[in-house]
Amino acid sequence: MTAHALELKHIRKSWGAVQVIHGIDLQIEEGEFVVFVGPSGCGKSTLLRLIAGLDDPSSGDILLQDRRVNSVPASERGLSMVFQSYALYPHMTVRQNLSFGLENLRMAKEEIDRRVDDAATLLQIEMLLARRPGQLSGGQRQRVAIGRAIVREPQIFLFDEPLSNLDAELRLQMRVEIANLHAQLGNTMIYVTHDQVEAMTMANRIVVLRAGKIEQVGKPLELYNRPCNKFVAGFLGAPQMNFLSGNLAPDGTLTMDCGLKMPVRLGETLSAAEKCTLGLRPETIGVSLEGAGDMTVKVQNFEQLGAVTYIYTVFANGETLTVQLAQQIPLRRGQDIGVTFDPTRFHIFAGEGERALLLHGRADA
Amino acid sequence: MGLATFLTRTKGNPDKADRIGAADLLAYGYLALGVLLILVPVLWTFLSSVKNERAVSSFDTRLLPMSQVERLIEGEGLKTTWIYTDAAGNTQEVFKAGPTRVETDVAAIDDPANVFKVPRTQLEPNEEIRIATENYLDPILGRNGQTNFTFFTYLFNSVFVTVVATLITLLINAMAAFALSKYQFRGRLTFTILIVATLLIPSSIILVSLFFVVWSFGIFGSLWGVIIPAAATPTGVFLLRQYMLTIPDELLEAARMDAASEWRIFWRIVLPLSLPALSVLAILSVIWRWNDFLWPLIVLISDPSAHTLQIGLTTFSGEFDSQFHYILAMTVVSLIPITLVFVWLQRFITTGIATTGLK
Amino acid sequence: MSIAGLASLIIGILWLGGGTLWLLTRRRYRLAQIPNFAMDLLGFPVELAQSLFGRSGVPYALLLPNMLIFGFFTFAPMILNFYVSFTGGSSISLFDRPWVGGANYSAIFQCESYFDPRTCSNEGFSFWRGMANTLMFVAIQVPVLCAAALATALVVNKNLVGRGFWRAMFFYPVMLSPVVIANIWNWVLHRKGILNETLGDATGVMTALSGMAGFDMVATILFAILLFVASERTLRAAADPSLAWAGLFALLFVAVFTWASPLRMVGFQALPSLWLGLALGAGLVWLVSTAHPAARWVVMGFTAVAMALLLTIQFDAVFSFERFRPVNWLVTPNTGWPFFWLIFVFTWSHMGFYMLILLAGLQAIPSDLYEAAKMDATKPARAFYRITLPLVMPTLVVVLVLSLIRSFQIFDEVWLLTGGGPGRETFMIVQHIYETAFTGDRPAYGSAAAGSVLMAVVIAVFTFFQLFITRRQSGL
Repeated sequence: MTAHALELKHIRKSWGAVQVIHGIDLQIEEGEFVVFVGPSGCGKSTLLRLIAGLDDPSSGDILLQDRRVNSVPASERGLSMVFQSYALYPHMTVRQNLSFGLENLRMAKEEIDRRVDDAATLLQIEMLLARRPGQLSGGQRQRVAIGRAIVREPQIFLFDEPLSNLDAELRLQMRVEIANLHAQLGNTMIYVTHDQVEAMTMANRIVVLRAGKIEQVGKPLELYNRPCNKFVAGFLGAPQMNFLSGNLAPDGTLTMDCGLKMPVRLGETLSAAEKCTLGLRPETIGVSLEGAGDMTVKVQNFEQLGAVTYIYTVFANGETLTVQLAQQIPLRRGQDIGVTFDPTRFHIFAGEGERALLLHGRADA
Repeated sequence: MGLATFLTRTKGNPDKADRIGAADLLAYGYLALGVLLILVPVLWTFLSSVKNERAVSSFDTRLLPMSQVERLIEGEGLKTTWIYTDAAGNTQEVFKAGPTRVETDVAAIDDPANVFKVPRTQLEPNEEIRIATENYLDPILGRNGQTNFTFFTYLFNSVFVTVVATLITLLINAMAAFALSKYQFRGRLTFTILIVATLLIPSSIILVSLFFVVWSFGIFGSLWGVIIPAAATPTGVFLLRQYMLTIPDELLEAARMDAASEWRIFWRIVLPLSLPALSVLAILSVIWRWNDFLWPLIVLISDPSAHTLQIGLTTFSGEFDSQFHYILAMTVVSLIPITLVFVWLQRFITTGIATTGLK
Repeated sequence: MSIAGLASLIIGILWLGGGTLWLLTRRRYRLAQIPNFAMDLLGFPVELAQSLFGRSGVPYALLLPNMLIFGFFTFAPMILNFYVSFTGGSSISLFDRPWVGGANYSAIFQCESYFDPRTCSNEGFSFWRGMANTLMFVAIQVPVLCAAALATALVVNKNLVGRGFWRAMFFYPVMLSPVVIANIWNWVLHRKGILNETLGDATGVMTALSGMAGFDMVATILFAILLFVASERTLRAAADPSLAWAGLFALLFVAVFTWASPLRMVGFQALPSLWLGLALGAGLVWLVSTAHPAARWVVMGFTAVAMALLLTIQFDAVFSFERFRPVNWLVTPNTGWPFFWLIFVFTWSHMGFYMLILLAGLQAIPSDLYEAAKMDATKPARAFYRITLPLVMPTLVVVLVLSLIRSFQIFDEVWLLTGGGPGRETFMIVQHIYETAFTGDRPAYGSAAAGSVLMAVVIAVFTFFQLFITRRQSGL
């Protein structure tokens, strides 16, 4: 069996009395693009800094290619990092920024020049080499920051929310470029973001973190289709998954607070009726304007985007339901519409959503 | 548009014409008065310093350096000359051939043998404008018995103290500030408090015991006795620390990822980025060291070859109480370097100190 | 060779030799990297600390040189001061100094009456005289310096033509050395110097002018016009009187009031009229600045009073001075002039520095606050009291503390300008310490150290008192 590119074993980290990472185990294989995603304060950046060697874990081991690197300084781990603010040295030209690290490694001048020129060509920043960071646009700085990571020819690239300072259009463009770069270079990349869209589009594997713990690890669609709990289900996907509370009888009869009653095919046996949360992706809900369907809801607001229509509705008991339709329909506020549900695409979470219950006959896309 | 509006408006567009109000008048008046108060004494000192000995010792208050013309008269030697105006209004250049009385013996300069009497009131000194360079050159070059002001020794000592002390101050203060601003370590608060305490300890209350310390280090009487004790300035550490706190930590982390040692991070990243604060400290340090007085007076007074310009000028002023023309000239000489620095860097100094926020 | 010399030689050899060896065995340098090598060598102890103790050792290595100097040349003398103050004799070897207990202190406190320094012992007289003079100096100097610095900072912070030039000009004297400053002012203030000359000339010209026929009439009419213009401008604005014009008007009013000296009628001299006039003028400005409803009427009333006073004097004999007698500004005793010029020169030479600090504080006030105030129709004076002053207060407290500590230590200017004289009118505490320890044949280090300790106590009390009073503003 080949060595893991990176392995984390029982990593914990405390700042004084506050523990921010509560024991993380993770293996990352060679050539993977792994995205750490989670809400702010979940410890994803801390975890990245622990991997980088900028901070030291309170306990646990970090292994690179099966070599324990806990006490190896950041610069000798063979990693390179792209920072959120890019951290370009403002007093150096782009060329000096790229070559500074290589000079510190006492590399021969010709080799430094070759690598800098290669990286510049790859990122199309050749014409910027003589400029200083202050003279560059946001996107150009981003490229230089990536270039500085590339010239080191590291085993693993670390990205700490690198796109959060860019405007929406540029973010989209850089997202594609980083994905292309990964395809081109084939290196292992670890990418931290709070944006689930970035996670879904770029990752080979997503690690969802919450409050210093891993909630779920898996391929993007796996996570989307089979979230292991309400948090992961709610975090991935926009608009957010709808959650309705209700009860589930052991025979599989779902009785929701909003009045919905539906049988589902449970994959496990329950001893007694239990509180549960029903998760409905907005795009799995059908609409009939005549009011026919499983339930009737009142339209509070709607957004017509052309290709899709988002309808924000409310049940009689006050629970809200967001519907996504891939078509244009005439709507007005306050109107009652009928909605239909597809039991094969339900997510049912036990209690307040700690755990997803197994369902038979799921129609995963 | 009235004439007054036209005359007092400050901007071209009549709609937006912002007239000089009373507040502006008061402000300009205040500034003009202040600048006069500052410049007039300095300029007056300068103007006086180029007057000749006689004009200075007789407190000639004319602006220009007038001095009486001296001519070499055959058989009489060097004589000051006077203008004699006779009753008809004709003027003639003469010299006094005898003591000044109501009727003074004078002779025309081109006819020294022909002595005649004229009333004293008809004689006016024959004056010309002459820059009295000897005020400067005598003490500096040691001419005319002026060997007590060894200008070049003093200048060297002052420059040495200023440059070396400033370099040391910049280096060690920046190192301390870097440690206090960019590292988390045990004792950081203690060190910070210690430095605040130093800020509040006036240097003059430790004069006596500092003298003992410097004596036992064996640097009393040498320039190092002036340089070393003042090299670590709390002001400098604070100024630099405040500035370095604004350098993002990510830059240092990027450099650490780039395999730079901590010292190299300091040298290649932190120092260049702190340049604005460093230059303010450099200017302050130059002013402090160049103008330093009491401590050098204690340490260096016994050895004239170690005097700085300030101490040299003080002893010189003390010795030559009446020879104001030399004192004034040497005052101007020691004022010139700092004035040049000021003129050269004035915009930078004022904005630098103001924006770095000396707090 | 001294111990210090030997120590620095050994350290130097270890540093340069050891550092070169250490660096060359670990790193390779090309010829072009000699500057790199030099800088690495300079930081060799830091590099060594990093390789020995890791990154956590680095801050200590970085702090070391600075703290060594602080330790030896600031903290050690602080402690040593106490020890020296309990020893006597003139020896400069610490071990040869006999322990005398509190004798040095008791000599200072040996007074028959604590309200009169002349009844004290010699040391006591010198110390208390110096302390009293210094306290008086500080009490006058600090407010004067801060007020001048704040006023100047406010003015140069305005959007005026040539702002940079004005700021630079006010900072210029800060760069001059005390010796140069003393020589300049000695020259200007000499008995036959330019100041006396100018004052004499001015007196002559004024007397000659007022002797001319018709001068009284012309001067009275001109002054009346000026007064009218100022009061008209003050009242012109529809709502509240304009503060700036009110200030000008108040100045003119004070001048008339002083000249007319209405108090003379009830038997006072001219001087009380000046104070009363100043008080009235200040009251007027205050009324206008707070937009008091009565301000308008008060201005009108003042105008009427000023006109009446003007008619009573008509500049009659106002300008006929006695023939001006040159004053020996720095030497004449019991005139207060030496003290005055000391304060003047100190302000002259230090004001620029504090002005710049205050200017930084003023510039840190966001300009949108003033724009918001303008939208709310806030009057400039109110904006000053309610926005500028509270926001600049922390900086002002810093300036107060700094100038307090600086003024307490005054020595250079006094020593060079007056030498403490005439008599001991300007004899300051630092001069007492300096002369006790360093100028006599038998230097009394112990006594000087005792004086230093007492001075430190006084400064500490004052500083804390000041910080205590202003604690709310300074946020300390």
